[in-house]
Amino acid sequence: MTTQAAAQAANPQQAGAPGLDAAVRLGLYETMVLSRTYEEAILREYHADKGPGFDIGKGLIPGEMHLSAGQEPVAAGVCAHLTTDDAVTATHRPHHFAVAHGVDLRRMTAEIFGREDGLGRGRGGHMHLFDPDTHFSCSGIIAEGYPPALGQAFAFHRQGTDRIAVAVTGEGAANQGAFHESLNLAARWSLPVVFVVEDNDWGISVPRTASTSVASNADRAVAYGIPGERIESNDVEGVYDAARRAVARARAGEGPSLIEVHTLRLWGHFEGDAQGYRLDLADAPSHDPIPRYETLLREAGVLDDDAVARIRSAASERTEDAIAFAKNSPVPDAASATSYVFA
Amino acid sequence: MTITETPTTPTPQSRRLTTSKAIVEAIAFEMERDPSVFYLGEDVGSYGGIFGSTGGLLDRFGKDRVIDTPISETAFIGLGIGAAVEGMRPIVELMFADFMGVCLDQIYNHMAKIHFESGGNVKVPMVLTMAAGGGYSDGAQHSQCLWGTFAHLPGMKVVVPSTPADAKGLMTSAIRDDNPVVYVFHKGVMGLPWMAKNPRSNDAVPEGDYETPIGKANVVREGGDVTVVTISLSVHHALDVAEKLAGEGIGVEVLDLRSLVPLDREAILASVAKTGRLVVVDEDYLSFGMSGEVVATIAEHDPTLLKRPAERVAVPDVPIPYAHALEYAVLPRQDRIEAAVRRTVAG
Amino acid sequence: MTDVVFPPLSKESPDAEGVVSTWFVREGETVAADQLLAEVQVDKVAAEVPAPAAGVVHLLCEEEATVAQGTPIARID
Repeated sequence: MTTQAAAQAANPQQAGAPGLDAAVRLGLYETMVLSRTYEEAILREYHADKGPGFDIGKGLIPGEMHLSAGQEPVAAGVCAHLTTDDAVTATHRPHHFAVAHGVDLRRMTAEIFGREDGLGRGRGGHMHLFDPDTHFSCSGIIAEGYPPALGQAFAFHRQGTDRIAVAVTGEGAANQGAFHESLNLAARWSLPVVFVVEDNDWGISVPRTASTSVASNADRAVAYGIPGERIESNDVEGVYDAARRAVARARAGEGPSLIEVHTLRLWGHFEGDAQGYRLDLADAPSHDPIPRYETLLREAGVLDDDAVARIRSAASERTEDAIAFAKNSPVPDAASATSYVFA
Repeated sequence: MTITETPTTPTPQSRRLTTSKAIVEAIAFEMERDPSVFYLGEDVGSYGGIFGSTGGLLDRFGKDRVIDTPISETAFIGLGIGAAVEGMRPIVELMFADFMGVCLDQIYNHMAKIHFESGGNVKVPMVLTMAAGGGYSDGAQHSQCLWGTFAHLPGMKVVVPSTPADAKGLMTSAIRDDNPVVYVFHKGVMGLPWMAKNPRSNDAVPEGDYETPIGKANVVREGGDVTVVTISLSVHHALDVAEKLAGEGIGVEVLDLRSLVPLDREAILASVAKTGRLVVVDEDYLSFGMSGEVVATIAEHDPTLLKRPAERVAVPDVPIPYAHALEYAVLPRQDRIEAAVRRTVAG
Repeated sequence: MTDVVFPPLSKESPDAEGVVSTWFVREGETVAADQLLAEVQVDKVAAEVPAPAAGVVHLLCEEEATVAQGTPIARID
């Protein structure tokens, strides 16, 4: 970790740490606000029609829903260094990365609502979002998004470009075979990959301390011969800094790196999760990274009331537009249920 | 490039190849033609593939196109998927079909589902090759066929050639297909110098470029008394039995399925409509698999096509034993096939 | 007339015997120079045997018969 990042990590409330210019900081804040606004809207829509109790299969957005509130700094800090030519493979909790990477919000939302205009024509749903325009994909199987990212990186390199792949998992996934195989193979073949681990402390209900033999997956990276960094305190600028270096390494042909971020799962593992197992629950909102960053940027003179209102309003407008688009999109015809198996 | 039925009549001067060399010929032609084709797997480089799938390719195309991987099936099959998504045409080898357990998620939840989950927007033009089959005492974990399991899971085509000519044509088709294709080669049809081989594993292979259609079965021997529907090495055993029984005036029609997904149900129905008797021979496990699917095809369409109940000759639902006599008691070899055919024509 | 000889696969034991594991051509076939004639094996080492010349090939041994290295296995007229 650089001294600057270490200083910010140790003292996240410290305003005016030198390094990032205002435009970048504003961009990080805007991305996080858009992502949170989006998740709050999906939360609203998801629960609107599940009652009177909670019937998971009911409503306009049926099924499991894994929302990313609290984890915005990871997506914002990493995706700031990417273009839509770079690939991102995300997890069952994908929305913040999809938003930050520039996936079309309307088509993503239509997919979440299971509509014909969705990214997958309603076939995939919220855990299986595929956007070829931004090389974004996600998977519901823990850790299994890592291996395809290797392939995308391999192809980009073979095609003579400096495009990269970012592969995202959680800390629980770092105990799955695919994680270890992928780190070894990417390292051995020097693939242009950035591995991101979102340590939100919880593998559903099992805390990291109960599942993981090491204190930091950055230590595991070293075991595979690649650089690893752990960013504490959900610090968006720390993520931005580490990602800048990791992305540059990959683009320069220097191989993969791993960034682990100690982040925060503000809500349940899935919607409907009562989180009875979670002793820190009452405490969690006080660590919300967005108000904290807002405070920091206000103190640095990057944000004021007008700017905040403008940013929130824009986020809300884009989000509600996407939701309206989704709701107006047709429900897929049942007669087409067996289409699209083969090209 | 022509798309034809595989020429099946060898002429006296036809050039002969083993199945393994025919496969290599197809791969080499495609690698020459299309720079995005590459082959990866364990021991596929200088070793040439444990069962001869890549012999000579490393010398010809170099280590950037023929790539040895670590023992990391999940990672390298996933790598193939990602490369295919981004426009390359990988051929990825799973050394033994039996190893599917360590990497099945990438295969059936990713390779096979991405096209569908993306509403057809993302293609995965990848070939997954694998060696299968027993008969040389490699034991329960190294002798399985398992094509029924792959065929059962939606989203991937499954081809299983029995002859050198089909092996070449199906490999060409598989590489050119924009879908994931599982290409299963039985070790016993490869014509390897170090394993007892059926004489038909070395046979005429047309020169030049041709595709064998995926999803089309082939009547490899016509007959009027009974239909034997089969695949892979069992085709050769069925032909051995057919040749023997011809001497007794029993006409055995042998239908080589060649593909399990798509399954050529029309060919099955046409043959059984003609003969009225069905024996299915499958070296995969008996229950919940290919042989049941063939019988179900008849039962759902018109069970009255059958004059006698269908017979299934498959590996019973047991792990494959190691000791030679035990292994050969469970394999669907000529003796069991002949007994089943005799039973079905007797009534 | 040209002899097609079983190649020396085992340099440590030049007297070692092997087999012709696969004939790719039939008795009396017309072959081209370099055309693949056979695959032979000594212990675990296998090798391809190309035709040293063009002509009509005559096979001198069967598949799986034991043959010493250096022995002619076919003749091309």
